[in-house]
Amino acid sequence: MSQHKDINPPGWPLKLLRLFLKKEYLEEIEGDMEELFRENVERLSARKAKRIYAWEMLKLLRPILMGNLSGMQNLNQPAMFKNYFKVSLRSLMKNPVNSFINVFGLAVAIGICVFAYAFARWTFSRDQFHEHKNEVHLVTFLADRDGTLQQYGKAPRPLGEMLREDFTHIKSVCRVEDRNAVMKHEDHVFHERIRFTDPEFLEMFTFPMKWGTSNSLKDVNSIILSEDMSTKYFGDENPIGQSVLMIFDKDRSKEFTVTGVAKEFPESRTISFNFLANFENLRTADPGYNFHDWSEFVNATLIQVDNVSDLTSIEQGMEKYRKLQNDAVKEDWAISSFSLEPLSTLHKTSEYIRDDISRSSKNDYISVYFMVGIAVFMLALACFNYINIAIATAAKRLKEIGVRKSIGATKQTIIVQFLSENIVVTFFALAVGLILGYTFFIPGFELLWNFSMDFRLDDGDLWLFLSAVLFITSIASGIYPSLYISRFQVVGILKGSIKFGQKNLLTKVFLSLQLIMASIFITCSIMFTLNNSYLAKRGWGYNQAETLFANVPDQAAYEELSASMAQEPDVLSTSGSRHHIGKSHATTVLHFPDREYEVDQLAVDATYFETMGLSLKEGRVFKDHEGSDKQAAVVNELMVKNMSQWLSGWENPVGQQFRIDSIQYEVIGIIKDFHNYSFSNQVRPIIFTVAERHDYRYLSIKVKSGSEIKTHKALQANWVKLFPDIPFEGGHQEDVWGFYYQEIAIYDLVWKVFAFLAVSLAILGLYGLIRLNVAGRTKEFSIRKVLGAGLKNIAASIANQYVTLFAAVMIIGAPLGYILSKILIEFAYVYHMPITLSGVSIGMLTMVVVLSITVSTQIRKVLKANPVDGLKVE
Amino acid sequence: MKKTKLGEFEELVLLTVAALQEEAYGVEIKRELEDRLKEKLSVGSIQSALKRMEQKGFLTSEFGEATRKRGGKRKRIYTATPYAHRVLAEMKDIRAQLWSSIPRFAHDLKTI
Repeated sequence: MSQHKDINPPGWPLKLLRLFLKKEYLEEIEGDMEELFRENVERLSARKAKRIYAWEMLKLLRPILMGNLSGMQNLNQPAMFKNYFKVSLRSLMKNPVNSFINVFGLAVAIGICVFAYAFARWTFSRDQFHEHKNEVHLVTFLADRDGTLQQYGKAPRPLGEMLREDFTHIKSVCRVEDRNAVMKHEDHVFHERIRFTDPEFLEMFTFPMKWGTSNSLKDVNSIILSEDMSTKYFGDENPIGQSVLMIFDKDRSKEFTVTGVAKEFPESRTISFNFLANFENLRTADPGYNFHDWSEFVNATLIQVDNVSDLTSIEQGMEKYRKLQNDAVKEDWAISSFSLEPLSTLHKTSEYIRDDISRSSKNDYISVYFMVGIAVFMLALACFNYINIAIATAAKRLKEIGVRKSIGATKQTIIVQFLSENIVVTFFALAVGLILGYTFFIPGFELLWNFSMDFRLDDGDLWLFLSAVLFITSIASGIYPSLYISRFQVVGILKGSIKFGQKNLLTKVFLSLQLIMASIFITCSIMFTLNNSYLAKRGWGYNQAETLFANVPDQAAYEELSASMAQEPDVLSTSGSRHHIGKSHATTVLHFPDREYEVDQLAVDATYFETMGLSLKEGRVFKDHEGSDKQAAVVNELMVKNMSQWLSGWENPVGQQFRIDSIQYEVIGIIKDFHNYSFSNQVRPIIFTVAERHDYRYLSIKVKSGSEIKTHKALQANWVKLFPDIPFEGGHQEDVWGFYYQEIAIYDLVWKVFAFLAVSLAILGLYGLIRLNVAGRTKEFSIRKVLGAGLKNIAASIANQYVTLFAAVMIIGAPLGYILSKILIEFAYVYHMPITLSGVSIGMLTMVVVLSITVSTQIRKVLKANPVDGLKVE
Repeated sequence: MKKTKLGEFEELVLLTVAALQEEAYGVEIKRELEDRLKEKLSVGSIQSALKRMEQKGFLTSEFGEATRKRGGKRKRIYTATPYAHRVLAEMKDIRAQLWSSIPRFAHDLKTI
């Protein structure tokens, strides 16, 4: 009870209630609501109690309980609003083009808002479905790496057992270790990632079972599958009791019985599993696995506590393990402290934790800010359109306002009228926008990225959000026009001495702002497109196109496969290696007399450089005979560059020495920098060393240009012949970056869509304004034409008021677009094209063309019109 | 009987008020009725029924004590008027008569 004291009901529903409810009922109902709220807080979660509270408050707004609003007591309110509604519908129908511009513009903007909301909701709901998310913590440790404190998500192997024994506050502990294995059921054979874990895993994480039970994991012979895996191996039937064979390597395998299938995982999870087996099975999987070795790690150790306040004492108590750990490991891996990370925020913090089992979603958080920014931008554009057109159309409704005022409407009633009209328009837009978002933006985005945001219409917060959008948008777009219009004096209006709409300064300012935003969007979009085509052409620093690779299980397999591939006519050379560019590397600490330095290490054979097309800058590569160059290293340019800042002598790197563990290495050659992983990763310092032949895990093949596909087929055919039981892993070297190029193509598309929408909105607004302007000057143009004005004269008289405006827009928009896109590109891409003015020029040219087309449609209309019709008006 | 329009829900609320005696205030009525009907009711529906019946003269009310739990706000205790008791009794009678006039055969059939 005492801990609920500080949870208070939300304030706004109460204010609403006080505003509308009859004063004499207030005390009683407020008290009732508060009492119910306290009760709900104890029974349910605070969040839910607040939601119920707000909802109940809204449901209290019934005619019988509501008092009359002060100040409006004597008016016939419902009839008045009915009239407003009717008038606003009529004026909407009277001007279909302008209404369309308003409603459609707002609808697109609101559609994007709905989309941004869905995306944000999805991002912030990551991993939030676990019941014990606040009690479950990941054990992490902090260690000093190259002078900075780095947090690691893995844990020393014996730590889990020790925690379980030493701490009584810890309710349960679970270790997680992932291993690759081949799974076989009848003729289904695939490489799979198996998660070995303690049975507590399924108590900590909320993954309900579709079939079977979760505590069956206590049995070492049982295995639990995800729903996807169950479908992959067993189709739609219930696989409980079926057996699967897990093959660790040639000699070791174990049969498991399926005892559970998890229900489909929620879309918002970042931690899940394909196969779950008891941790003890690691003894079978890996006979050398020592459970008591402090210098080795498990992928994760998680603890669950009953009381979150125990955490500090646990963290302090773990201090004693630090010594155990640091005694066991080499000094360069010494750790400085342990810390616990709650599951509820792990998806956020995991960006800064190395080697943890959660998936980082930093990009999603950045994207959320982008999306919100773009949504607000679009909404602002649409509001500007609305304001402009509202002011311009008000010219046509001056008489209506005059009459209303002269029969007693005050300034306030005119404001209320225009605002309520606005709410009607915004409401239409909201409905259309929701449909657009639900049927177009969200599914489109999900299709592009191939994921589901799990967006549902029965989400209560969505409706609150939409009401807020409705309210804010109608006020933002309506307040200025209604203030402006209500200001006019009756006499002036009725005498016809007030003229406006054509030379309003603010209209021009708004129009300019819109066009500036459009310029910025179009520039950014073009810059991104140019950059993407640059990235598509950018070299990887080696010959990725004419290279194939295959992942082999052991040396014997390597020898057989390489022998059989050497027979193929189009193969130019083959190499064996322990690691492979784009696929794997080791992280190694180099020792220099006075410092340590962390690099990526690739162990390869002598011909690897030639096969992969890596170019040598200086020195030599490894010699091609057994046992030579065991203590030689080839390094990349970046490593040389970095080292020469700290150590003298590295200006001439060949011959420089360093130590890995206790072995002394000497640099014999320098190769040019290349992109080991995709362009979104920084190039890292790399060293190559000679791989032991029994460590070969990759076969790389250089083929004749043009024969890549043919040889790839031959490679697969040879594989199937040699190793029918092992699935083939390998392919074109060009494919090692996975979806990288698809991904940048998607970014490109998204930018284009946004630019198109921004430009369309601005153009719609401009079109609406020019149309009104021209319509208001029908008589003038007719007289001009009668007097013999031609194309030149008419065009000049329409366009001249816009030319300066457009010029100003370009002058402001171009540099802004340039700077913004430069910042964005530098922020988003590690490697990008040299940023030049070409993007801005193309953008501005597009703007000029689009603007000219818009203006010329109206010029054409005037030219084609019969002046007699224009003069006959009124 | 004709003028005393008492809706079905209002009748339930009125009976609850009569049953709860001194304890008959908003939240307690809601709780009691939810228990008996086994469904969720909103504060709004209870309150509007109470206010309507007060206007029609079925109920009177006065302020009760204030508690901490209610943020220092007083309760409003409702009491059924003698008139309400009479109407309730009348309705019960009418119902009973109607029940007894249902042919026995049909009644038996229903209880099978």
